[in-house]
Order: sequence, then structure tokens, then C-alpha cells
Amino acid sequence: MSEAELILGIVVVTALAFDFTNGFHDTANVVATSISTRAMSPRIAVGFAAVLNFAGAFISLEVAATIAEDVVDPIAITTTVIFAGLVGAIAWNLITWYFGLPSSSSHALIGGVVGSTFVAAGADAVFGDGILGKVLIPALVAPVLAFVVGGFAIVVCYRILGRQRPGPVTRGFRFGQVISGGLLALGHGTNDAQKTMGVIALALVANGNLSAGADPPTWVIVSAASAIALGTYSGGWRIIRTMGTKIIKMDPAQGFSAQGAGAAVILTSSHFGFPLSTTQVIAGGVMGAGAGKRLSAVRWGVAGNIVTAWLLTLPAAAAIGGVTYLFTDLFPGAVGPLVVTAVGLALVALAFARRIRQGTPVPAT
Amino acid sequence: MTVIATIVDTTALWQTIVAAFVAGVGTTLVFSLAILGVARFAEASREGRPLESALSAGLALLGLLATAATIVFGVIVMTTK
Repeated sequence: MSEAELILGIVVVTALAFDFTNGFHDTANVVATSISTRAMSPRIAVGFAAVLNFAGAFISLEVAATIAEDVVDPIAITTTVIFAGLVGAIAWNLITWYFGLPSSSSHALIGGVVGSTFVAAGADAVFGDGILGKVLIPALVAPVLAFVVGGFAIVVCYRILGRQRPGPVTRGFRFGQVISGGLLALGHGTNDAQKTMGVIALALVANGNLSAGADPPTWVIVSAASAIALGTYSGGWRIIRTMGTKIIKMDPAQGFSAQGAGAAVILTSSHFGFPLSTTQVIAGGVMGAGAGKRLSAVRWGVAGNIVTAWLLTLPAAAAIGGVTYLFTDLFPGAVGPLVVTAVGLALVALAFARRIRQGTPVPAT
Repeated sequence: MTVIATIVDTTALWQTIVAAFVAGVGTTLVFSLAILGVARFAEASREGRPLESALSAGLALLGLLATAATIVFGVIVMTTK
């Protein structure tokens, strides 16, 4: 095995590790509403979401194309740059997971890759127009859109069903949440797994295994789908608590409206190749469904903490990605990525050990 | 504004906004009608009103079919680009 192939292998494994943490970190957002309204037990909700995340990864390749072509110049970067960007994203994902903040894995990934590319190849290799048009503006629009859709949906729902007895309505929307939660998981798999596919495609282009603009090979799609599904199944209990109960207390109708809004925004955005933050979208839907019932039902303080984490994500992941590249570049060839991987794994093991000692899972219902 | 319009694919963005709104609110609307039909069907059947129970059953069925159709249509659109 040549040194270039070794670095490519490390990048692919790191990208799949990111995909795993993405599932672990983000899909909690997908299942939180179903769990908090008792539409599904935590274990069933997580298993269901894992299966649909896997299926969702096969639906579209538009987002993968955006990541591989529109954010950084695929010709100007190397596999080491992509490795450093991935480390930036994983590190920020784990930091926000450790503190229980549902920040955006997608923006962490884009921030990490942009930061390492900027440090390694200069500003010309970063496509500012692509980042603004395909990432930042949709990132602003999507959660607001989900908020509006979730708000309108719950108002419509209460208008139609306001005078009915709560029993059949609650049972009906609990059943409906199985469908809306499934669609949300499908959308998550579609949008988020494609980001990993896009990054692996970038690495393959950088290493000369794939021509620029080509679709990711099947093995990339299958491995990205599997990694996000496994990550999803592993769960993310701390974040489930924040998303499911701390933003608003939901009834099943609100849960259905929030999930429906989130699924609609994510699936339509994926269709047009916008790499969204599923975290932001579902939080927007949850807050919209809460505000549509009563503005004071939303715990705006917790929502404010989430917004702060989002604002920090792109620059923080970019900074970690840039610093990681500088550190990796100190060593010759594949030694840098190997050293960073070893240090990273040690830190991850330490963080997991501390978190497992401190954290308690959501009780089964 | 012109600069923003050249950077952002405004057509795609507007289509996303309209499609997400119609799909998100529309699905909740038709599913709510289905639940309304089921709730009224149960009530009318219990109280021995056959015409109302038949109409409510029809509303429930139409609502469920419309919900299913919305979802199937959405998935087909997603997979055909």
C-alpha cells in the first residue's frame, strides 16, 4: 500500500467515523418529539430511525454534489486537508455532545473543511459564493421556514380538531407521529449521509480515484448509509432530553406538526441540493409548533443556548480544522494523520468514559 | 439584491419554500381531517346516527388516502431527479 492510499484510507475511515457521530449526535433530534409525546418508546424510536436513515441515504445525491463541488475547490485540496477538516468537525461534534448542545453536524463538517482548506490552499480555494448561496442563506431560511410551517400546521390542526374529545385525537396523532417521525428520519438520512458521501468523493478526487463532478461510487453510498444508521442506533440520550422536553412540552398534535414541518423542509431542500442542518430545522419546527399554540410555551432561554451553539459552529469547526491541518503538516506523509488519529481516539475515549460516568439515559416509557 | 440573486439560486430557494409549506401544512391538514372523521364516526356510531357515521367514515378514508398520496408523491419526486 502506498503512502497516498494509506492517507486516503485514514480519510475514508475518519469520514465514516464522522458519519457515525453525525447519526449519534443528530438523530436524537429526529426521535426526540416521538419519545416526548410517548408515540414510541426510546429504543423502538431509535431503531426505527436507524433503518429509515439507512434507506434515506439512497434517495438522492444532490447534497453530495454540493459538498464535493460547490464549497471548496476539489482540484486544489489534498487528502490531508480533508482529514484535518473532518477532525475539526468531529471534535466540535463531540464538544457540543459532551455539553448536551444540539449544534449542527453539517455546519461543523463544512466549517472544518473550509478552515483546513483556507489554511492549506488559501482563500482562492474556498468558494465564498457557494458557501453563501448553498450553505449560509439556506441555513438561515430553513429553520425559519420550519418554524412557520410548524406554526401554521398546528393552528390548522387545532382549528379542525379543537372541539373533539382529546382521546381519539391523541391516539390519532400518536399513530401519525410514527409516519411523520419516519419521514423525518428518511430526510435526515438523505441530507446528512450525503455530506459524508460528498467528503469521501472529494478525497477520491484529490487522490485521483474519481474525476471531479462524478457521482460517488456505490461502496461510498452503502458505507455512508451504514455508518449513519449505526450511529443513529447508538443514540444520543442527553440531546434527546434537550430537544424533546426542554424546548417545549409537546402534545402529539404538536409533535406531528413539528416532525411534518421538519420532514417537508429537509426533503425539499435535499431535492435542490441544499446541505441543511437537520438539528436547526427540527428545532425550528418544534418551536413553531409550540409558538403556534402559545408563545410562552416555548422555553426561549434553552432555545437561545441552542442558537449560540449554532453561531459558534462554523467558526469553531473551521478553527479546529485549520489548526489540525497545521499540526498534521508538521509530520511527513501519513505520520501526521496517524498521530492526530491516535491523539483524537485517546481524547474521545476519555470524553466517553467521563460522560458515561456522569450521564443517565432517558427512562423507557 | 442583484448580487445576492446571482449567488443564490433564488428559483430553487423559492420552490423549496413553497413546496415545504404546502407539504408540511397540507399533510397536517388532511391528516387532521382523517382524525376528525374517525372521531365523529365513533361518536355517530355510538349514538345510532347511520348517515353521519357513513359521511364521517368517508371523510376519514379520504383524509387517510390524501395523507398517503402526499407522502408517496413526495418520495417519488425526491427519487426522480
